Amino acid sequence: MTGLVREVVVGQAVLPVELTPDAITLLRFGAVTRNAHRIHYDTEFARSEGLDGPVVMAQLHGCLFHRAAAEFAGEGGRVREVAWRNRAPAYVGDRLVVTGTVQSVDVSSGAVTLDLVERCGAGGVVCCRGRAVVIPG
Amino acid sequence: MVGNAVLELAEERALASVGRWERRSLGVVRAEDAAEFARAAGEHAQQLVDPARDDFVVHPMYVVSLLRGAPGADASEFRPDGMYRDEVPGTDGLDVRLMAGGQDVRWVGEVRAGDLIDLRRALTAVERKGVGEGFLLLTVEKVYGSARGTLVEVTERFIVR
Repeated sequence: MTGLVREVVVGQAVLPVELTPDAITLLRFGAVTRNAHRIHYDTEFARSEGLDGPVVMAQLHGCLFHRAAAEFAGEGGRVREVAWRNRAPAYVGDRLVVTGTVQSVDVSSGAVTLDLVERCGAGGVVCCRGRAVVIPG
Repeated sequence: MVGNAVLELAEERALASVGRWERRSLGVVRAEDAAEFARAAGEHAQQLVDPARDDFVVHPMYVVSLLRGAPGADASEFRPDGMYRDEVPGTDGLDVRLMAGGQDVRWVGEVRAGDLIDLRRALTAVERKGVGEGFLLLTVEKVYGSARGTLVEVTERFIVR
């Protein structure tokens, strides 16, 4: 166990990371990942699917979870795992904020498990729950 | 075909394909593409967004977020909803709604610029969830590798309604 890992304690806060994806963000992200699913850019189609409008891609949620984990791991640290479950749709223009706490510390391996949650919009609706395993730097 | 019959057909097809591994190439990872991905994801860390740097690293989420490699797909490979016909097992040609359910991503190695990425995937579970007609929850295991071996393992869930 390194000295830095020793400083990590269960319940410690994960600093928030945030992103407010607009229609341009979703177009760019969809283009670079070759994701043409119409629920991400076609308002009429999204509504026909029972949504309020175009929704944020799952992988973009994943990127925000990864960023929260990577920033917690710090310089020289690494992210071993990231997982998330979609709970509610996040829409264009919603402010997405990932926060969390340290769930456990494995003294033998130095691995730290983070319990993460992503909230969206003005009401702070939970749109994804997740976790990450990091090796702090 | 009414909704329930369509979902039953999707379930039947999916169950028939459980455990069948398939392979697809995602092509060669280009540093410029990975940097563009990082920028689109709102990253500002220079080592993720500037491919000219000596310490540039491919965003760890890049490869697992790619639905296809270059040069993309022909028009015939898409469903009317814009998804790829083969993206969600058992749903090709069926009027069903598709949603992502979440992912577990486990990094085994580091994806580097220049890696030729090979994706293997298999449907591993088909579950009926919810009340009444409900929905299908499909679990797909994915393994991303290169000549250096396995790089990333993913468990992905799709919701079919």
